[in-house]
Amino acid sequence: MADIRDLHLRVPSIQKDWRAFLASHGLSGFPDNEVAAVDSVIGLYDGGRLVGTGATAGNILKFIAVDEGDTPGAYFNQVVSELQNRLMAAGHTHMMVFTKPQYEASFHYVGFTTLAKTAVGVLLEAGMPTITQYLRGLPDAAAAAGQHLAAIVMNANPFTRGHRYLVEKAAAENDAVDVFVVSTDRSLFTSAERLQLVQTGLADLQNVRVFPGGDYMVSYATFPAYFLHAGDDVIRYQTTIDARLFRDWVAPTLHITKRYVGEEPRSHTTAIYNTVLAAELPPAVQLVVVPRLTAAGTVVTATQVRQAIADQDLASVRAFLPPTTWSFIQSHEAALLQRIEKGQTIRGN
Amino acid sequence: MAIKKTALAGTLESSDIQITLAPAASGGIQIDLDSAVASQYGDQIKKVITAALQGLGITDALVKAVDKGALDCVIKARTIAAGQRALEQTEPAWEVL
Amino acid sequence: MAETEERLRRTMMFVPGNNPAMLKDAGIYGADSIMFDLEDAVSLQEKDAARDLVYEALKTVEYGTAEKVVRVNGVDTPFYKDDVRAMVKAGIDVIRLPKTETAAMIQELVKDVAAAEQEFGRPEGSTHVMAAIESAKGVVNVNAIAAASDRMIGVALSAEDYTTDMKTHRYPDGRELEYARNVILHAARAAGIAAFDTVFTNLDDEEGLIRETKFIHQLGFDGKSVINPRQIPVINAVYAPTKAEIQTAQQVIAAIAEAHEKGSGVISLNGQMVDRPVALRAQRVMRLAQASHLVDEEGNYVEE
Repeated sequence: MADIRDLHLRVPSIQKDWRAFLASHGLSGFPDNEVAAVDSVIGLYDGGRLVGTGATAGNILKFIAVDEGDTPGAYFNQVVSELQNRLMAAGHTHMMVFTKPQYEASFHYVGFTTLAKTAVGVLLEAGMPTITQYLRGLPDAAAAAGQHLAAIVMNANPFTRGHRYLVEKAAAENDAVDVFVVSTDRSLFTSAERLQLVQTGLADLQNVRVFPGGDYMVSYATFPAYFLHAGDDVIRYQTTIDARLFRDWVAPTLHITKRYVGEEPRSHTTAIYNTVLAAELPPAVQLVVVPRLTAAGTVVTATQVRQAIADQDLASVRAFLPPTTWSFIQSHEAALLQRIEKGQTIRGN
Repeated sequence: MAIKKTALAGTLESSDIQITLAPAASGGIQIDLDSAVASQYGDQIKKVITAALQGLGITDALVKAVDKGALDCVIKARTIAAGQRALEQTEPAWEVL
Repeated sequence: MAETEERLRRTMMFVPGNNPAMLKDAGIYGADSIMFDLEDAVSLQEKDAARDLVYEALKTVEYGTAEKVVRVNGVDTPFYKDDVRAMVKAGIDVIRLPKTETAAMIQELVKDVAAAEQEFGRPEGSTHVMAAIESAKGVVNVNAIAAASDRMIGVALSAEDYTTDMKTHRYPDGRELEYARNVILHAARAAGIAAFDTVFTNLDDEEGLIRETKFIHQLGFDGKSVINPRQIPVINAVYAPTKAEIQTAQQVIAAIAEAHEKGSGVISLNGQMVDRPVALRAQRVMRLAQASHLVDEEGNYVEE
């Protein structure tokens, strides 16, 4: 019987053997920052020989490769079982994996469900809550029959008058609007802060509901390039996955027929995202691109707000911010500055 | 009794079954079974799972079961292990074993 | 000594406690003893699940005439007490205590076993115990350990941990185990219990397994621990008696029967008195012959 061992990649010879094993299975060229981000790496040994490996990073299963072995699938099942047990023991009850299309069936065989796929990759999930359980669990999220429901996904780092303008427009043009705030915690403002600023900044709009985006909407799982630098191919692939997941799961379950996005003059990544959304969502979901709000003669962006915090020049962006966000930043200026000094990037998203 | 947290027991290896349990406020024991023999033995597998959970006093739960040809005794053992983990019980369930 | 009737223990097959496929099939390979492992073969986070699984398997899977042994977690672990209770409740034949170093550890185990028998309504004394010797201290104390309780049925050498403790490792010729093997074997024989040799880990080296089994057979061990079913027939072949041994044993048994019929108090064969050790050895040879299928149901030697 093959047995599982921990692989500590900080031991250079172990990492070398591990990379060689992955390379022999056609997995190579991944960046060091992706390797450094893993939480746990396991090796499957049969008769003292490495015959399989897999890793976890957050709630993601990664770097899975196995030899064929005598019993087809046995090594694969053993590796995936162990990774799932480890994630569950660490409190990650919902798990996802990105893989090549040729491995989709293997993951189906061990109970994974496909969320979205393209010609180059597949995103699958396992554990609980499932995407259906997550969506059905959103309070009163499903629209009544015949209603026109729109959705907006935002990181809101932080929530600006530009965001508010976009929501107001959607709220005026539809019966109701669901706003999903990105849950991944990799931005200057924490996910709890961002969610709270969106909620308080929209509290007066009766037909708007605000939800956390969970693992499904622009999350580090579905769209890592939103948070880490990546090439155009990778961005296009990941945004396609994200768009299809929204189109095939979120929109039909919640009866969403329109998605609103802000026009993107600055961010290269977000511009690609908007292009991909326009290509993927219709006709099931109509995409509405709204020109950016301008204030004091310039386009309102959260990027400028973060820059102003770093420059300790809050006054310059006061016109961009609703009172709720303005007062939050004022009372948390020191803490935000400290995060930037500790290395939190203010670029990107 | 209400489940406290989502928990998993068992593996995806041959002759085993992987059981995941999640809290449910109501609706009884809802089993999503994934098995190559579901058409012949699905009802029996669900019966064993349900009985083991009821033995632990669990009345409402979402259950995902990925069966790889487990015997009834394995299904029972894995369900008990998952159930006790979900209930955060460490003392073996002497009444149910 | 726990049993009056000595049973064959040529092979004790290790079965990982959290592996349903191996638990299901453990009875089909003809191992004399099956050892379900809750200790080293089970990772920390799976201890509860493995205990539940072995319990249910013991309750429902058919293991034939094999002796059912479970290796519980060590007395210093949080799993030990519940392991012992659950296995006694399941009706295990033997509990194997890992890393045994003193007679007191066995006495502690026996106390816990007796309490569990009472708690779960098992017949008093139905659960036996054995000790695994895995350290220098265990070897030094093995005489007292072997005689620690009348529930004891055997002692086993566990060479992986032992050689680590001795600051060496295992070598093909096994000379590093010379002292431990002899001391453990003597302690077992003096206490009238079984002696089990350690596992042979290189599955691809059948010649090495034969060589080592012949050696421990020569020393007098009851048998070896086994990590793969493939090793069972190899070990059994070494333990199979020769035709001459079987014929001698049959002569001894015939002489005993004849003496009984004649009402004679003195049994003799070839001018030698047949005393108790000779009679016991003859019985053991016949059991081995039957287990090796070298005699038919009437006890006639089966020619190849």
